[in-house]
Amino acid sequence: MATTFKTFLNNDITSTKTLLHEAIPLTGTLASGTYNTAGATTDTYDGTNIKNYAHGMFQSVYDYPYLSSSANHIYDLTVGYASASVLSGTEATTNMQAKKINMYNQMAQVLVGYDTTGSIRNFDQDGNLVETGAGSGTKLKDCFFINFARLLAKDEIKKGSFTIKIGTGSYAAPFADTSGGDGILTISDSGKENDYRVNSPAGEYAILSATAGYNKEISPAPACGLIFYQAGIVVLSSSIFLSGNTSALPGILSSSDVPFRPNGTYVTASLTGSAISASCNYLRNRLYDITFNNTTELNSTIHFCRVNHNDYNYSSNPTYLSASKIRVKNNTLDSPIAYFTTVGLYSSDNELLAVAKLSEPLKKDPTNEMTIRVRLDY
Amino acid sequence: MAFLDNSGDIILDAVLTDAGRYRLAQGNGSFKITKFALGDDEIDYASYNKNHPSGSAYYDLEILQTPVLEAFTNNTSTMKSKLLSIPRTNLLYMPVILQNTAESPAAPSGSSEIHTVCCDSTTVGDTSGAGFLIQANNTPAAYELRKGILNGFEPSKGENFIRADQGLNTNEIAATSAIDADLLETQYIVEMDNRLGSVVTSERDGGAARVSFIDDDNIASYYFSLASDPGYVEQMNTNSPNSNLLGPKGTKISFKIQASTELQTSTYLFEKLGSTTSMTKVDGIAQSVRYIDTMVKITGATTGYSLNLPVRFIKIPLV
Repeated sequence: MATTFKTFLNNDITSTKTLLHEAIPLTGTLASGTYNTAGATTDTYDGTNIKNYAHGMFQSVYDYPYLSSSANHIYDLTVGYASASVLSGTEATTNMQAKKINMYNQMAQVLVGYDTTGSIRNFDQDGNLVETGAGSGTKLKDCFFINFARLLAKDEIKKGSFTIKIGTGSYAAPFADTSGGDGILTISDSGKENDYRVNSPAGEYAILSATAGYNKEISPAPACGLIFYQAGIVVLSSSIFLSGNTSALPGILSSSDVPFRPNGTYVTASLTGSAISASCNYLRNRLYDITFNNTTELNSTIHFCRVNHNDYNYSSNPTYLSASKIRVKNNTLDSPIAYFTTVGLYSSDNELLAVAKLSEPLKKDPTNEMTIRVRLDY
Repeated sequence: MAFLDNSGDIILDAVLTDAGRYRLAQGNGSFKITKFALGDDEIDYASYNKNHPSGSAYYDLEILQTPVLEAFTNNTSTMKSKLLSIPRTNLLYMPVILQNTAESPAAPSGSSEIHTVCCDSTTVGDTSGAGFLIQANNTPAAYELRKGILNGFEPSKGENFIRADQGLNTNEIAATSAIDADLLETQYIVEMDNRLGSVVTSERDGGAARVSFIDDDNIASYYFSLASDPGYVEQMNTNSPNSNLLGPKGTKISFKIQASTELQTSTYLFEKLGSTTSMTKVDGIAQSVRYIDTMVKITGATTGYSLNLPVRFIKIPLV
């Protein structure tokens, strides 16, 4: 009996899970240089790859002018502070205090959830969600948020791979140091692949810490933000632009506050005196680069197509026959030969569900056997 | 589709077909891979050179150098020809499926060997005037005038049908020999565009065949077997007349085509998928008609051998 299909047996199909990582380097020039239309020293700095919205609650960064169909959305920026922040109540209505509190609350309720009374928790510097009293720790009440597009973050950011470099120099030269250093503060989750938290409703997260720029941090590797791996969101405390000595808010720098705005005023002034988009502009001006590895979970089913010596030695290809005679044989004693380029995977009712192509034809005759491993990823 | 890079190791480029994705999206468990087959769509076995002067190592050189296309995701565009498992290795001849042009009602018309399906009563011909099958006096035209033309409006009233024969098309084996039992085709799969028409029996009762399934491209598949569909599949005798096969004969499949309701009542698909041409009616008068050309594929389920038959649906447009 001639047959064209071979049924898979139980041990011919198996499934696996693979984590696939891609390196994502996001150079700071994308954020503030390449498509700059106004010049970095102006307060109204913008770029054709920066999309602002009428509601003004966040700003989107693209890798190309966003009006082009070639542009890819790479991340969003926004700022916010808690209603319990010392900044709350110090801002004029025109500067979007309510929207900044809304943004903080929105991010907080998604990323750290609610306490037992149903109130939105604040972001915590070391991941301890106790709100008040002993052990409550330092809360991050004044934050910048970087929300990476799923196009980049995929299923999650790989733990221990995230680094963001931020300039702490003057506004006009954020990456330079007048005393000769590079003026760059490096914030990362280095080593956090084995030191992360699981008490967030949005998945796993870790604490970001800073390492030396010229404007030395006040203590070794101070905590200054959080990274939520599955959510693909980075929360940066405004403390990265403030000193521990001079600011109204707690800072991590040892020397002086960073002149965050073009007019030389500090991040606190930006948070209370600038629109969200303007504060995002000032942050973008200081982004040196961002790097991380993303993770894609590949669930695969592997089908082992076992072709025995007496399988598939003939073909139904119309060119296989010439006047009903097999072209590749001269007489009945010759071995039949067939060549195949395709593996088709079928349902029980003979519908072709998947197809795999070989890069070159393979020869099949009664002298050989083979197992073709077809992997389908989901 | 581009070619696959064949400069290094052998790689496999695997994709779900559109039908596979459709079943996966249905989420009802219909996506279940249970078997596999091997295909050789790109291979031209005529390039196998048994007389290569450099020896047997070079016989299949051209075949092995055949570039392979990336996978098509359209399930009906790939795996057109499959490899066969036959335990015996001593076969020298294999059966084919041939369009029958020898039996008068099954013969196609014209040099393109096409079957033409009339989609409505005007096109068939009725009391209002001659068509392509019926004369103005409402009687069937002479056979030569309606050769290869099927009554797709009322198939039971038409005599013509489509027939394909399975067997060995060689005169090196006596036609009186029986075809080997393991090569006898006992089941056929007929595939056609379900928007255009459906398969009905070639017998006078004109009963419609049961569709096995219709895929996402509207291709309907019909399964006919020798055991359960005697109106479609029949065993041919070794001395069966009216067959184009030169050698031993296996089975034959015969059927008619009924035009879909949409083709009978509307010109939408003719405008979208077809064109217009001029054909001569049985009264000898040239008539402008709308037409759609399509293929009906007949595949032997046992041997995998397939035959594509060109079919043209025609309709006289309303004035």
